[in-house]
Amino acid sequence: MFKYVLRRIVVAVPMLFGAMSIVFFAMRILPGDPCVAMMGDQATTEALADCTRNLGLNRPLPVQYVDYLWRSVQFDFGSSLRQGYPVSEYIARMFPHTLVLVLSSAVVAALIGIPIGIISALKRRSPLIDYPLRIIALLGLSMPVFWLGILLLIVFSLHLDIFPLIGGGDLDGVIHMLKNGEAFSSPRDFLVAVGDVLHHLTLPALALGFTLAATVSRLSRSAMLEVISQDYIRTARAKGQGERAVVYKHAFRNMMVPLLTIIGLFVAIALTGTVLTETVFTRPGLGKMLVDAIGARDYPLAQGAITVFTMIIIVVNLVVDMLYAVVDPRITYR
Amino acid sequence: MAISRRAESLDLGVPLDREEPRRTVGGQLRRWLPLGLGILMAVAMIVLAAAAPLIAPLSPSAQYSDAVLKGPGAVERHLLGTDEFGRDILSRIIWGARVSLQVGLASVLWGFLLGVPLGILAGTRGGAVETGIMRCADMLMAFPTLLLALIIVTALGGTLVNEIMAIGIALTPNFVRLARSLALTIREQDYIMAARALGSGQLRVMARHVFPNALYALVVVATLYIATAIRTEAGLSFLGLGIPPPTPSWGNILSEGRQYIKCCPWITTFSGLAIMLAVLAFNLVGDALRDLLDPRLRGE
Repeated sequence: MFKYVLRRIVVAVPMLFGAMSIVFFAMRILPGDPCVAMMGDQATTEALADCTRNLGLNRPLPVQYVDYLWRSVQFDFGSSLRQGYPVSEYIARMFPHTLVLVLSSAVVAALIGIPIGIISALKRRSPLIDYPLRIIALLGLSMPVFWLGILLLIVFSLHLDIFPLIGGGDLDGVIHMLKNGEAFSSPRDFLVAVGDVLHHLTLPALALGFTLAATVSRLSRSAMLEVISQDYIRTARAKGQGERAVVYKHAFRNMMVPLLTIIGLFVAIALTGTVLTETVFTRPGLGKMLVDAIGARDYPLAQGAITVFTMIIIVVNLVVDMLYAVVDPRITYR
Repeated sequence: MAISRRAESLDLGVPLDREEPRRTVGGQLRRWLPLGLGILMAVAMIVLAAAAPLIAPLSPSAQYSDAVLKGPGAVERHLLGTDEFGRDILSRIIWGARVSLQVGLASVLWGFLLGVPLGILAGTRGGAVETGIMRCADMLMAFPTLLLALIIVTALGGTLVNEIMAIGIALTPNFVRLARSLALTIREQDYIMAARALGSGQLRVMARHVFPNALYALVVVATLYIATAIRTEAGLSFLGLGIPPPTPSWGNILSEGRQYIKCCPWITTFSGLAIMLAVLAFNLVGDALRDLLDPRLRGE
């Protein structure tokens, strides 16, 4: 077990550095001078030279590269060209917004996707049940999240006026109340603030969750099909257990093991989804921050956001691999 | 029989669906309908894109000042309405199919041409070559397709060729991994040993034996990646990083229409519908082909 975990970490570290290198070199070949982007076309040559020196862009590329790697592992991504304050601070402020979106869409995706996948697998001989469910999954898989988001906005925000059109609610306020204990001293205000955050979160979570549910339902269906063909299911049935007990006591529990891999896949898809979802709903978050940074040619901010995205994906996959070894001891021996 | 199929399933680490549709009319319909429907939709889209100059009722860039932001059918010549410049939405969607399908098909071809030889080389040669290729693929896999394409397009600029290259490169590691896993299975087959015994070199074995035997599965998965590529292109254009306006692409029509969702939801509705139908068509074809030709790939 220990050897397996160590081996996974040894593989993940160079992968992380490789991914960070790709980000660094991609950002260096971007068209346009960051200093011109920051100071405008009217800046004098001296001012531009000063800016280049201050940003460290006059140093040789290998020096800049080593410096970037060293600072990135310390979560120091420099300062935003536009906002002026540290990128890591900006990321720390945006991260909770993206996290709540990913978590809430995961709940939506699990609540829709897993039952659809299980029913579709168990009722695979009933075309009237299996086929409509598979078609729903296929539609979810084919529907771009930004389009579904816009449709939800048109119906629920513009026409029915049930949900807000833009923004993410006062999540910073909720976090602040939790930190300084106000959540317990004045629970009414806290619940109102949480309610406001959830109100803003509903449509984005539904849009992202529905598109993710398609992937979850397909993987659940395939995991369930694999499990129900196992010998222990036949044994359970042969012992005279009812279908409900077979499904809940044996099939469902064992199905969750292969479903673990979904988490890794899910985080990658969900993070991509947040880039589009946060843009559609004009929600604050890492995804919107990345798009805005690219639009404004704010290279340190874009570089920081992409590096954090990549780090999250690699670390989550590493954790999933380890969890997999914990849940399924056979993995250790492979 | 059951034992050998189980073994195949274990080899590729994916489950086998043991439920074959019965050979009744209903069973046959269930088997062929998705493929037929998918092919019909995909061919219709390709024809639409190829014959856009003949099919589109108006020029996609022609502006009609008397018909700005008109709804579907409000003005007779604009069946799906107009945008903020008075341009015909139907014509723009038909012309936009060109960009989306060109990027979809060409980027998958590009990813296939880059990834498959590398994957087959990794699977057949093994050792340091395999480790090197797979670690590079893993590094690229750390980026979701849209994110990697976004980085490349931002670095190179949003042109048709750059978008094709960006999405192609983003898809490459998927092809490398699949080709390698197929090559690993194929290289253990008796006919490969026979070819080697007859004096075939490594290159010949890869080109004449491994590649043709992996082709079915690769083509099936490539079809599914066309759907991914179309969706990615639409996402990039929606974020303003794809083909810049006024050239119409489904993503940028949708992005432009976003500002007018309150008064004129038809702009976003129809362009989004076009994206969904195109993605659905290639998903249907890919899914059906996978089930028909290579059941081992279910779950890929």
